Amino acid sequence: MSDDLFAPLRRGWETLLERLFFLPPFPENIDSLALFSLLLVVGLLIGEWLHARVGWPRVIGYVLAGTIFGPSLLGWISIEALAQARPIADAALGLLMLEVGRRLDIGWLRHNPELLRSTLMDISLTFTLIFSFALLLIGQSPAWAAATAAVTMASAPAVVLLTIEESKAQGVVTERIVLHTAIASAASFVVFTLVLGVIHAEQSEDWLNALVHPLWVAVGALLIAWAVARLALLIARLLPKRSLAQVFILVASALLAVGLARMLAVPVFLTLFLMGVLLAQIDERQTLRYTALPEGHWLLAIILFVIVGASLPWQEFTWLTGLQAIGLLLVRAAAKAAALAAAGGSLPLSKRLLVATGIQPLSATAVFMAYEIAGLYPEVGRSALALSLFAAALMELAGPALCRIALRKSGETAGSETGKGGIG
Amino acid sequence: MSKSLGEFRHSEPLTLGVELELQLLSRHDFDLTRGATDLLASLDYDGRFGDIKLEITESMIEVSTLPRASAGGIAADLAGLREILRVHCARNHIAVCGGGTHPFHRWPERRICSGERFDALYQRYGYLAKQFTVFGQHIHVGCTSADDAIWLTQALGVYVPIFVALSASSPFVDGVDTFFQSARLNAVSAFPLSGQCPPLANWEEFVRYFGMLQACGIAASIKDLYWDVRPKPEFGTVEIRVCDTPLSIESATALAALAQALSRWLLRTRPDLQVARQVHVARYNKFQACRYGMAAMISDPVALGQRPLRESLAELLELLAADAHELGCKPWLDHLQPLLADDASDAAWLRGMQRVHGNLNDVAREAAERLLARAAHEPREI
Repeated sequence: MSDDLFAPLRRGWETLLERLFFLPPFPENIDSLALFSLLLVVGLLIGEWLHARVGWPRVIGYVLAGTIFGPSLLGWISIEALAQARPIADAALGLLMLEVGRRLDIGWLRHNPELLRSTLMDISLTFTLIFSFALLLIGQSPAWAAATAAVTMASAPAVVLLTIEESKAQGVVTERIVLHTAIASAASFVVFTLVLGVIHAEQSEDWLNALVHPLWVAVGALLIAWAVARLALLIARLLPKRSLAQVFILVASALLAVGLARMLAVPVFLTLFLMGVLLAQIDERQTLRYTALPEGHWLLAIILFVIVGASLPWQEFTWLTGLQAIGLLLVRAAAKAAALAAAGGSLPLSKRLLVATGIQPLSATAVFMAYEIAGLYPEVGRSALALSLFAAALMELAGPALCRIALRKSGETAGSETGKGGIG
Repeated sequence: MSKSLGEFRHSEPLTLGVELELQLLSRHDFDLTRGATDLLASLDYDGRFGDIKLEITESMIEVSTLPRASAGGIAADLAGLREILRVHCARNHIAVCGGGTHPFHRWPERRICSGERFDALYQRYGYLAKQFTVFGQHIHVGCTSADDAIWLTQALGVYVPIFVALSASSPFVDGVDTFFQSARLNAVSAFPLSGQCPPLANWEEFVRYFGMLQACGIAASIKDLYWDVRPKPEFGTVEIRVCDTPLSIESATALAALAQALSRWLLRTRPDLQVARQVHVARYNKFQACRYGMAAMISDPVALGQRPLRESLAELLELLAADAHELGCKPWLDHLQPLLADDASDAAWLRGMQRVHGNLNDVAREAAERLLARAAHEPREI
């Protein structure tokens, strides 16, 4: 369609080109920066509009923008443009994963056995139920059922973090949502790495892939994360704490890790998550502990979710897959609610169920993980993971809203006291 | 609705009670966090060391000891409360610390706790209620009669600068060094009923005065009086309210011991108070103590001159030695001696931490560690 639109312009340009020798050839692709800017503005406008008019989380608007303008619907964002914008999406996801990793305080679990119990129950019950659902009800092979469970078992760190930031939430429910999200993500990454081997074992004739690929991913991500975290701390120690220079070091080192991960075909989300965890664990002098990401990471997050929205394979949608995806999400929701309810503890049941609601999002990490696995054997992977992708697609819209509802109901968002009438 | 003052409840003489307002911090960056209501709702505690309750904003809690005959009893209660908080806060990923102000929190982010009284305060005082996220120590001293309580309220008023200087632990506000040793009291002084108890001779005069305030619609209950020192009829005590929450429970106990020994000495010797003259210098002297701490120059409206607070305190500690000995709290009073020798106040410690780390997050982290640290040599009861 866009070719037809631009045809007269192209003809005119080529006519001029014959006489004006300084003119470049007619641009075949949109420049990356121009694309970046367009995605930003469109995502921002829809996000802000939804937020202001309907009170929805902005993230939903960004995803909707991507879905509407992506290859599945209007096609204004082409598949080539998506590939072109992928480094920006990787950088955005990487920064958010870094932050989630930094927020994972393992020490908290030591002090609170009930929390350890509830996170373990969440992880095991969610994986088991989704795996059983995919295996027994959908009829996937064990390897692909495990892949489906690995992709969809955890909450969406990026969505959770942005929703918390947007609603300025603070409190025990918020803290637990972050912890559950971080730990379940870590668990899903472990399962994901193992699943890579299982899939190779099922699909490849060469056993070496089944053995080496998971190792490559795990060791590669760990090495990059460790080396870059060390480097960042080494340099940051020379600078004043919380200074702008330290912010630059944090961002630059994260981008370095993203770049290295891309170069070595190691998942960016895993590498940056590990880097965040390591940064928090080995930073004994609290060098970078208080250095926050710049406000500008919101800009990158917009791009990330527009791209995620555009990457959702709506053109492959069938009612059957849609229903299966809803079934998967219901099983997942029930698993999380049951785990939190059964885990018990000092937090009242109603608050624990709010935590379960807050960890429902499923988003960018799942989509990227699904494409990572599907890319290994595209002929089978794409259809096998369609279920996960549709589940993620549905949750892209419902997840941020659920997370926000949980935060609001817990009374931990910044605006929760407006009902009191403010200053009289 | 106006509440009658009621009868002044009888207390055993010189019994002590301590309330400490404490900060709830995020373990992530040591900024104030919200969560007091949920924290206390999930607390399974039988009250054996006293009470743990909500304060005006979600970023604070108040612990209060049971009434105790000695400073040692107060120390034991505070240590017990500290252990309860250590475990429960760790379970909820919250850090807790002392200090009169949080060094860098942003007051608009504070949330008023649910509850009729808190809501009424917010409606009445607006943003002042949120800015009131400051943390003080209140010391109750038991009195046997209502008239004694009014006399002691007036008498302790003269020593307000000493309590301010000894407890000063709020040098930072909004991320900046205020140059004050105790900046907390500036937040308190914004309230219309803060300041000193006016010159009143006895309980009858106090009841008349309070009745006038009620009739004029200025105060509804005794809780509306934010005086530096005020009588507390329902407890049968006089309450000293000017102290910043110190950084350690040992210092909080030492301040309680000082209040007890001083009250005993005052009630025993009944010095001439010169209340009518003191009232003219009270605000200035309090400012001096807030601003300069131990280096304050205190005006004497009787001798008509100024005297270093440090000198007056040294003399007072010596004067109180015998009473402290009788009460068994001399070792706790000795805990205050180092403050005379050099600048060892909590405010100086916080500034020192700021110099070491170059940022206030680490200052708050160190303060949280200090509150929970068990003292190697806690003074023992004699």
